[in-house]
Parts: sequence; C-alpha cells; structure tokens
Amino acid sequence: MAPDSMPIARALSLPRSERKPWLEVLHEWVITVDHKKIGVMYVLYGLLFMVAGGIEATLMRIQLAVPEARFVSPQVFNRLFTMHGTTMIFFVAMPILFGFANYLVPLMIGARDMAFPRLNAFSFWMTAFGGLLLYFSYVGGAGVYGAGSAPSFGWWAYAPLTSPAFARGHSTDFWTLALLVSGVGTVGFGVNTVATILCMRCPGMKLTKMPLLVWLNLVMGGMLFFTISPLTAAQLMLMIDRYLGGHFFDTQAGGKATLWMHFFWIFGHPEVYVLIIPAFAFLSEIVPVFSRKAIFGYPIMVAATVGIGFISFGVWAHHLYTIDMPSYGQAFFVGMSLAIAVPTGIKIFNWLATMWGGKIWLATPMLFCVGFLFQFLIAGLTGVILANAPFDWQLGNSYFVVAHFHYVIVGGILFALFGAFYYWFPKVTGRMMDETLGKWHFWLFVIGFHLTFDPMHIAGILGMPRRIWTYQPGHGWAIWNMISTFGVFVQATAILIFVFNLIHSYLQGAQAGDDPWDAWTLEWSTSSPPPPYNFAVIPEVKSRRPLWDLKHPEDPDWQYE
Amino acid sequence: MAEETKRAEDLPREVEMPSPTAWPIVLAAGITLLVAGLATTVWLTVLGACLAAAGTVGWFRHLYPHERLETERVEHEPFKPVTERPEVARRREVIQEGHRARVPVEIYPVSAGIKGGLAGSVAMALLAMLYGVVSHHGIWYPINLLAAVVYARPLLVSSHQISTFHIQLFLVAAAIHVLASLLVGLLYGAVLPMFPRRPILLGGFVAPIVWSGLLHSVLGIINPLLNQRISWGWFVASQIGFGIVAGLVVARQGRIHTRQYLPFAIRAGLEVSGRPQDKDPGEGQQ
Repeated sequence: MAPDSMPIARALSLPRSERKPWLEVLHEWVITVDHKKIGVMYVLYGLLFMVAGGIEATLMRIQLAVPEARFVSPQVFNRLFTMHGTTMIFFVAMPILFGFANYLVPLMIGARDMAFPRLNAFSFWMTAFGGLLLYFSYVGGAGVYGAGSAPSFGWWAYAPLTSPAFARGHSTDFWTLALLVSGVGTVGFGVNTVATILCMRCPGMKLTKMPLLVWLNLVMGGMLFFTISPLTAAQLMLMIDRYLGGHFFDTQAGGKATLWMHFFWIFGHPEVYVLIIPAFAFLSEIVPVFSRKAIFGYPIMVAATVGIGFISFGVWAHHLYTIDMPSYGQAFFVGMSLAIAVPTGIKIFNWLATMWGGKIWLATPMLFCVGFLFQFLIAGLTGVILANAPFDWQLGNSYFVVAHFHYVIVGGILFALFGAFYYWFPKVTGRMMDETLGKWHFWLFVIGFHLTFDPMHIAGILGMPRRIWTYQPGHGWAIWNMISTFGVFVQATAILIFVFNLIHSYLQGAQAGDDPWDAWTLEWSTSSPPPPYNFAVIPEVKSRRPLWDLKHPEDPDWQYE
Repeated sequence: MAEETKRAEDLPREVEMPSPTAWPIVLAAGITLLVAGLATTVWLTVLGACLAAAGTVGWFRHLYPHERLETERVEHEPFKPVTERPEVARRREVIQEGHRARVPVEIYPVSAGIKGGLAGSVAMALLAMLYGVVSHHGIWYPINLLAAVVYARPLLVSSHQISTFHIQLFLVAAAIHVLASLLVGLLYGAVLPMFPRRPILLGGFVAPIVWSGLLHSVLGIINPLLNQRISWGWFVASQIGFGIVAGLVVARQGRIHTRQYLPFAIRAGLEVSGRPQDKDPGEGQQ
C-alpha cells in the first residue's frame, strides 16, 4: 500500500496523535511531481470548475424556462453563456481527461512516472492558474471604465465583439490571458504524454501491444500540438489588436473578422476530437472487460483513431458555411465532415462487435458506456445533418446546434467520464464505489439528459436561435424550454448523488483489492492505490492483455496476436 | 514456494524517484502573474517576472549538475491474479468459450448473397407485375415507375403513356432492379449470420417494413410526383416478397468458417509464418 496516496482516508483512520498536520499534507500535494497525485489534482480541479459551469448552466436554464422571464439581466445572461462554455471546455473537460491520462498512462505502459515529472507539475499549475485568471475577471474585469465584469461575447469570442470598441474594460483580456496561460499547460501535457508513451513503455510492449487507452491518448497528445497553436496565435494577435494598435481583426482598418473565425475553429473543431478521443479510450477499456471479451478489431480501432486525428484538422469550416465561402470550399468541408463519420462509425461497430456474443455485465461503468453508445450515435447523426451545408444554413446558430453539441459533450464525453470514474475509482482509492448509488446516478442522469437536450432539437427546428436572453410567447418554444429546464434539475440531482457517492465511497466504500473487475491491463497488477513507484519490478508483457496471460497461462493471448 | 521466496529476494528494496519540488508551481505562478499584469498593474508583472526567474533558476538547479531524487522503500506485496469479489468470481466461471471470438464465426459465402438477390428480384418482379394487372395499369406501369427513379420523363407524360412499353425505360428499370437486388442480396448474406435465430423474420419482414417506412416518410419531399403514383400497400407487399424469398435462399446456403486469428498476410494468400500453432512461448517475450 502507498500510505500517502489516500491522505484523507488515512488521516481519518489514524489516532489523532499520529495524524499528519493538514498543512503538511497540503504541502506534499502542492510540491508533488508524482503522476498519480497530479492526475488526481487535475480531476478534482475539473470537478470544482464543473460546479461553477453547472451553476451557470442552471441559471441560464431558469432564465429560459418561460417566455419573457426577467430572472437575470441580458448582460448577466451573456456572461453566463460565455463563462459556461469557456469553463466547461477548457477547465472541466480537458483537465479531467488529462487527469485520467496522467494517472493511467504510466501505469498501463508499466512505467514509474511520466517522462518529465516536473513538466507535468508545471503543466497542471499553468492550467489551474489559467482557470483562476478567467474567474478573476468577475472581480477585475471592470477596469478603469467600470464596464462589465466577466467576458460576455460567447466562448467563440468572435470579432469584433472582442475589440476595444465593443469590449471595454479588461474582461476580454482576462479571457485571452487565461486561455494563453492554460494553453501553455495543455501543450506541456501533450509533449509529456507523447514522450512518455513513445519512450517509457515496459519491455515487450511494442506499439502493437499497447492498450487502446494508451494509443488513443498518444493520438490526443499529438493533436494538442496542432490544436492549441492556432488558438494561441489568435490570442496573441488579439492582444496586439487591443494593446498595440494592430488591425488583424479590425474590419474598419483592413482586418478581417473572419480571420478570427478561421483561427478559432482550426482550434475548435479538432478540440472536440481532443475531448472525445479520450472518451473513446475509456470505452475501449471498459467495454471488453464488462463483455468478458477481447476488443474486436484492435488494429482497425487504432487506424480509425489516427484517421479521426488527421481528418479532424480538415473540417473546421463547417462552422462557417454562412460566411463568404466559395461553393467548392463548402463542398470540400462537407465531404471532409461526412468522411470523419466513417472512422467514428467503425469504432462504434467495433464496440458493438466486442459486446456481441460476450457475457455482458451491466455494472455501473458499463451502463454509462452503453448510454454513451446510444447517445453518441444520435450526436453523430445530427452531426452528419449539420455537416451538410444546406441543412446548416437553416439550422446553424439555432438550438439544434446547441442540442447536437451537448449530445456530444454530455451524452458522449461526460457519460464516458462517469463510466471511467466508476471503473478506476477502486484503483485510485482502494475502495469500490457504491453500485446502488451508481445506478441511481445513471438512471437519473439519463432521464435528466434526455429531458434537457432532446427538446432543444425541436426548439431549434422551430427556429429558436441560440444565445437569446429571452423570447416572446407564441413561437411554440415555451413548452420545450420548460422541459429542458426541468431536465437540468434532474441532472443536478444525479450529480449530487454522484458527488455523495464519491465522498461516501472514499471514506467508507468496500475494499476493492488490486484487481476488482478481473481486468487485463497492467494498472490492475499493482496495489490499489498504487505505491509511488507504481511497480516494484518493471513488468514484461507479451500481449495486449498481460493480466489475461498471467491468469490463464494455458491459453495466453500472445498466441493469437 | 521456493520460487516465490527467490522472486521476493530478487526484488529491489528501494526505488529512486524524482523528488518533489516547488519550482514548477513557482514558475507557473510567476508566468501567470507576469501576464496578469497586462490587465492590472505593472507591479504584478514585475513580481511575476521575479517569480518566473526564481522558478527557472530553481528548476535548473534541481536538475543540474545532478537530478535530485528521493528513495522510496519497496513494500513487496505479490500480485494475486485473483479477486475475491463474489460478483467477479461468479462471472469468471461462465467465461470463456469464445472470449476471443470474432463473431460471427460462420458466414455465408458471397455466392449465397448473389443467389438470394437474384431469386428475390424474380419474386419482386412477379408481384409488381401482378399489381399492374390487378390495378388495370398494365404490367409495364410498375416498370416505368421504377425507371422514373432516375429518369424523370415517365412522370411528365399521361397515365396512358406511362402504362405502355418503352424500351429505354425497360432497360433502365431492369438495370436498377438487378443491381439493387444483387446489392441487397449481398447485404442479406452479410447481415443474416448476425441474426441466426430469426433470419426470415428479419430479412422478410422487419427490414422491408423499416425500409418502406423510411422511403414513405421522405419520398414526398424528394420526389412528390413519383410519390403520388405509388401504391404503398403493394409496394410493401413486393418488398416483403423480395425479403422472404431472398432470406430463404440465403439461409439455405451452407455456411463457412471465418479465419478468426490468421494474420492479414495469410488471409491475403501470402506464404508467411504467423499461424497461432507456429508460435513458441519465447516469441511473445521479444
């Protein structure tokens, strides 16, 4: 056992005289370079910001529940949707996914730590400070003009809304600087992940024998170099515009507002795949274990992921069909956007083929994965609809797009994340999460999710634009908005159950043992929680399922790979 | 037992790990304050620059001339590849025939799909012509309508003209009918092994009804003129006729085993090693 991997539970179980002072525990965590602790900090940080982003979403939904509501002012509403989007993408989804990668990748490749442990700590703190800088805008955003607080231009920050004429005060600056700072952390994480996977694998773990989670994080890490760079470049150009009299995005002085759009979406759309690929990674580990079958089509799963990585950089302009783009340009981006459905579909078929004929065990992690499959399929189908320029001309900037996007982020990524929480929690803490509470969490969240986001499709088709503060009665939108708002409260209840389950299970959950799911990858071959050095002896592997080989020497996998 | 003891003796007693350090957080804080000064006060930038410099130097000195490491004592608890959780133990017993199988393990040959498609096409053609006779439009009416899927002229002529024989329309309709029947037959050949219990129910009823429903819901938008001339009851009947005949023909063909674990090179017909039985235990250790 590693005593300092569970400081709170350990502290509470010790007599008061033997407990470490809280300050000392805190100091240990602040100066740590251990990939597991940094992974846990990423996740806790993301969860903290999820509370902020969730509250912002709830306030928006209350405002939209009925026509002509005055729950918040238009200015506050604008800030809410800007901060909600920015928070959820940059400071919730990314940190939590990075946290899981940080924790799991070294364990799964049989390494003792990341390739650059100190860079790992630096990357985390840059991300963390970036989030704090963003929220400091509520306090310091007014500037000398006393104008506004938090940014209010939407998370795309389209020009000219960010120009000094429209964004007085410093809220835009805090937004820009926050993303610049966290971007440095993100690139650091990407470099570290790629270097770790390429250089730190244990003996026998050739690229063809890596767990799929590791492969997918390798692709994601590589993508980070190319997704974050355009955003950082655009942020610097914006700063030059705002502070040094530049005109990159100033249409009155020869600049182009659409330049920002291109820069932002060259980052923005691959970013969606940066987020969804780790979610795919979770499914690729959880689905086989809970189907009691080896993954179907390992090589094609890897190829599909690499294909998604490449194609994702050629689809950005499907967000821009309504700007001045030539028809052949539109045709290209329609084709690319449709093409990306092919490798994505391959993955869905392969997960289904893995389940098919298996002995499916519908424990909570698997339930969330099944939910993912269903919802992500629908998200993909609405994505295919929106990929077609004529449909997008009609539905773009409507609530249909909001519904599609949240189907991807919540119905896909968040469901996979919840599955990952339930699956790896025993490894991180040594204790099982409560199954009954887990099932309550799942079913309430499924119901809440569909109540919230299904009606948004209809409201969008009925013409409801996104980002409106309120609406008049008589459009036929009111009932759908009321249902959506009700769904948010169901989701919030489910989240509260999840948080309670996390805390309750951490303190009082059943002992998990080293390998509570009878799984097959290396992280389950060390203690739960793992010691600081992960493995006393660096393991040697012969196949993609090293623990299967260990448990079944009479029928090892390497004979078939 | 002796082997286990020896293995325990071989274990290292200590492992060196990177020592914790505050310099990364100092550097991160410095950079953050440095840029935050742009939107607040220059003094914050100065403070941030100082912290960043201190962080950089401290980090450098942490690594050079020698990386600072800390020693972790190894507490050896041998991994037990068995979990006592009853939920897991229960499931372990029901594994494991086919735990590695790439289903379906048996499929129909391509020829089965072709035969099924051709047989189905005959059944569908007979039903369509029967409709022509019963509805008094004549046997060429459904054929001309089928040609109208890609060739709009028949929809623009009178009802009398659309019921008469036209060689171009006949050739177009025959090509569509044979090609589509072959493709659907091949699809049945590929899909039916995945539903071995009820192939006729799936191929004969479920698939045709789903397809007809889909077409019915969109044809009015895609091609309203064609939509007006279709008798949907007969349309569904002919689809079901195709499905049942094609399904029956496909299901009666002999199945063949898939080559489960053979490497691609061998499946492609190349003479290479790599069959499972060729491998020896040392091979996996490379």
